Amino acid sequence: MKKTISIDHLARIEGNGSLIATIDGQVVTEVKFLINEGPRLIERLAVGKTPEEDVSLAPRICAICTLSHKNAVIRAMENALEIKVPPKITLLRELMHLGEFIESHSLHLYYLALPDYVGFPNAIAMASRFPFEVKIALEMKQFGNHIMKVLSGRFIHGENPVIGGFGRYPTKEELMFIKARAIQFMPFVHKTTELFCSLPYPDIPEEETIFACCEPGNGQYGLWGDEILVSTGEKIYRDDYPKLTNEFLVPHSTAKRSRYQGRTYTVGAQARINLLGERLKGEAEKMFRRFYNDRWKRNPLFQNPAQAIEIMYCFERIPEVIDEIFKYPQDPGIVSYTIKNGKGTGLVEAPRGLLIHHYEIKDGRITYADIITPTAQNADEIERYCLLAAQKLLEQGKEELIKDRLELIVRAFDPCVSCSAHLVEVRKIEENDWPKKLEQIRATNPIIIGLGSLGHGDDEAGLLVVTHLKRNGYVEAYWEEEVIDDETFWTKAEDHPIIFVDVLNFGAEAGKVTLIPLNHLLWNTSLTHRLMPTLLAWLTPEMIKKSYFLGIQPASLKANHLSSPVFEAIKKIVNGLKK
Amino acid sequence: MGKIKIGIYELTGCAGDALLILDCESQLLDIFQAADIEAFLMAKSDNSHGPVDVALVEGSVTTEEEKEELLAIRDRAEIVIAIGNCACEGGIQAALTASENWSKEFRQVYQDLKLTNVKPIPSQPIDAFIKVDYYLPGCPIGQEQFLTTFTRLLAGHPPELYRFPVCMECKWRENDCLLNKNLACLGPLTKGGCGAVCPSHNLPCIGCWGPAEEANRSAEFKLLLEKGFDLESIKRRMAIYAGTTIVDFFNQLKKEKS
Ligand code: SF4
Ligand code: SF4
Repeated sequence: MKKTISIDHLARIEGNGSLIATIDGQVVTEVKFLINEGPRLIERLAVGKTPEEDVSLAPRICAICTLSHKNAVIRAMENALEIKVPPKITLLRELMHLGEFIESHSLHLYYLALPDYVGFPNAIAMASRFPFEVKIALEMKQFGNHIMKVLSGRFIHGENPVIGGFGRYPTKEELMFIKARAIQFMPFVHKTTELFCSLPYPDIPEEETIFACCEPGNGQYGLWGDEILVSTGEKIYRDDYPKLTNEFLVPHSTAKRSRYQGRTYTVGAQARINLLGERLKGEAEKMFRRFYNDRWKRNPLFQNPAQAIEIMYCFERIPEVIDEIFKYPQDPGIVSYTIKNGKGTGLVEAPRGLLIHHYEIKDGRITYADIITPTAQNADEIERYCLLAAQKLLEQGKEELIKDRLELIVRAFDPCVSCSAHLVEVRKIEENDWPKKLEQIRATNPIIIGLGSLGHGDDEAGLLVVTHLKRNGYVEAYWEEEVIDDETFWTKAEDHPIIFVDVLNFGAEAGKVTLIPLNHLLWNTSLTHRLMPTLLAWLTPEMIKKSYFLGIQPASLKANHLSSPVFEAIKKIVNGLKK
Repeated sequence: MGKIKIGIYELTGCAGDALLILDCESQLLDIFQAADIEAFLMAKSDNSHGPVDVALVEGSVTTEEEKEELLAIRDRAEIVIAIGNCACEGGIQAALTASENWSKEFRQVYQDLKLTNVKPIPSQPIDAFIKVDYYLPGCPIGQEQFLTTFTRLLAGHPPELYRFPVCMECKWRENDCLLNKNLACLGPLTKGGCGAVCPSHNLPCIGCWGPAEEANRSAEFKLLLEKGFDLESIKRRMAIYAGTTIVDFFNQLKKEKS
C-alpha cells in the first residue's frame, strides 16, 4: 500500500545546502544532500491572505526564480478564479519568463559551472584568463535582468505582473530595444551553446533516469503548460500533480522530497531537452541535432549543455514573441474578475525545472497552499547520482576525485546560487560505528531477515544470524525462505523497519560489518543483485525508506566452513540485537 | 592603508539582496577590485572567516545555528549592516513569530519530525541578537541605495539613508495619487527608497520596504481610514512585510493617537 504524506511547507532551497557522502571500506553507504536553510513556512504564511496578497508573497520564496514563482502563482489563481486573459498578456508573461531563463542560465553556466571546468575558484578569478567570456556573460545576464525589470518593475520581486494582467504595459520602444538586443546577441549565443555543448563532461555517473516537465500542449517547445509530461509516457493533468511528486519529509533537510512511483526523477533543462528537444526549431534545433546523444539521458552533467541550448531557444524566441505582441497594439489593462471559491494549480518550468503552485480559496481567502519547487524534486536524484558516482570512482581506485566530482554533479542541477559554492564533504568511517546505529534502529523493533545459502562458506552468515536470534527468543527474525512467498507477513511488516542481513563484498577485511540504508543500497547497481528481486517486490517505497542492509564482508564464498572473522561478526551482531 | 574588507553573509531569506548585489553587473568588477570581498558565498568558493571592516548580513535568524553564526560575524566585524527586510525586520517569515503560533504552524508542516541538521526557532531580525550599526531596508534592497552606501563606506563615511515614506518619492515623480483612484496604497506608511516603483506602475504599494519610521504616521493612517479603506485589511497587509516590528508599529500608532 502506498501512503502519501501531504505537508504544506516550503523552505527556500537555494543557499545553505551541503552534501555529505559516507564511505565504508569500498562502499559508499550514504549520501545526504542537506538543506540547512531555516524553515520559512511560506505555505503557512499564504493561508489567510487574499489571492492578490499571495501573488506578492509567494515569489519571495526565491529571488533567483522570482518570476517563475510569479507566473506559477498567477496561473494557479487564474485557474482557481476561472479568469481568461487576452493573448497579449500571455505573450508578455512569456517574455518575462524568457528574461528570467536568460538571466538564470547565463549566471549558472558562466559564473558557477564554467570555473569548475577551466579550473578557477570563481568567475572573477576566471576573468583574468577569459576576459571576453566573463564580460559578455555579464552582459547577457544583464540583458535578462533588463527584460525582467521592464516587465516586472524591478530586478527582483517586481510587483507589476498581477492577476489579470500588468499594472503598466511596456512601450513600443522598450519592446523594440529588447528585440534588437536579442538579435545582436546571436553571435555570442552561438559561441555559448557551442562552448557548453563541447565541454568534456566526464562519464561518471551515467545511468538512466526518469524525466518530467510541463507539456506545452501545442506541439512546440515551451516553458509552461497544463499537463506534466513524464518520460515513462504518462501525462498528468495539472490538478493531479501529486501523482508525480508524492512528497515526503526526511530528517536531514528542511525541504521536502519527491518520488515518482517510488523512484527518483530529474527536472530541469535536461528533462526539457530530452522530452521536448525534437520540437526545437531554427538554430536551437541545429544545435540539438549536432550535439544531442544518448549520454544526455544518463548523465546529470548534461544539465549544462541543455541549459545552453535553452539560452539559444530563448534568444530566438524573443523576437518572435515581440512580433506577436505588436499584433495587439491595445493595452488590455487588468482584466476585471470576481473572487469566488475554488481550487487551482499553476504549472511552469522554472529555469531549474518543474514548479508547481496549488491553492484553495474560500470566501476571498486562501485556505490551503502547496508549493513544490524544482530543487525539492531533484534532491533525491542529486543524492542518487552522487552515490553512483562516488561508488564508481571508489571501485576504480580514484577516491581522490570523489569530492570534486560530487560538486560538479550538485552544481549541474543548479540547486541555487549560494549553496553551489562549496558544499561537498567526503566522510570516511574510521572505526566501526554500526553498533551504535544498530542500537538506535533496534529501539524501533525492526524485523530481521537473514539472506544467504547453506554450504557456501561465509554465504550462510545471514541465515546464521537469524538462527541465533531465534534461539535467543527474538520474535521478529526470519530466514528468507520463511517469508518470501508469504503475503500476510509482508502486510504485517509494513509498519516496521526491516534489516536484511547478508554477506556483502565491499572490499574490506573479512568480518567487517557495514550498515547501509536500503534506499542507498538499491541505487548502488553493483551491490543490489544481492537482494532478490522477489523480496524487493514486496517492499513499498515507504518501507524501503526506513529499512537497512547489514552487510558482513566474507572471507570466501567457496570454502566449506564459515571463516572465523565472519563468525566473530555474527556474534557481535547477535549480541547487539538480542538485548 | 589596505583595502577595506567586506563580508557578505546570508541567513534565512530568499537570497534576493545578495543577488541584487550580483545584479550590479556594470559595477561588479569594480566592486570586487575596490574592496577585498572576504566572504560572499553566492559569488565565490574561497571564503574566509577572518575579520572584516564591514559585514553585510542578509536574512533573518531561524535556527540556533544561524544565531551562532551571526554572533561570530558580529565578533569579527567592525561595522554590521542589516540588508533587506528579513535582516531588518525578520521578513515575511516573521509574521508567524509575532502570532505566537509558531510551534503550531511548524508542526503543521513538519509534523513530529525531528530535524537532525538544524534546530529551528521562530524567525527574528538580526538585531534581536546583536548590535546592528546600519539598516538597508527593502525586499529586496534598492540597487541605488546599496551602491551609495558602498561608495560612502569606501570613503570611510557612514551611510546616509532616507527618512521619508514612499509617498514622498511618488510626489517627486509627479504620479497621480492612487488614493484618489480608490486604491488602498500603503505608500504613506512605508519606508521610502524604492523610488515608488509600484505607484509608478499604477499599482498600490504593498509595503515591502517595511513600516516608515517617523513622519506623521497617525495622520497618514487616519487619511487611509477616512478614504474608506478598512482597518483590518490595512493591518493585515502591513503585517505581511513588517515582521516583528508590527507590534511596535501599532502600539506607537495608538500612543500617537491618544
Ligand atoms: S528581504 Fe526580501 S529580498 Fe531580501 S532575503 Fe528577505 S525575502 Fe529576499
Ligand atoms: S511595495 Fe511599496 S515599498 Fe515595495 S517596491 Fe512597491 S512601492 Fe516600493
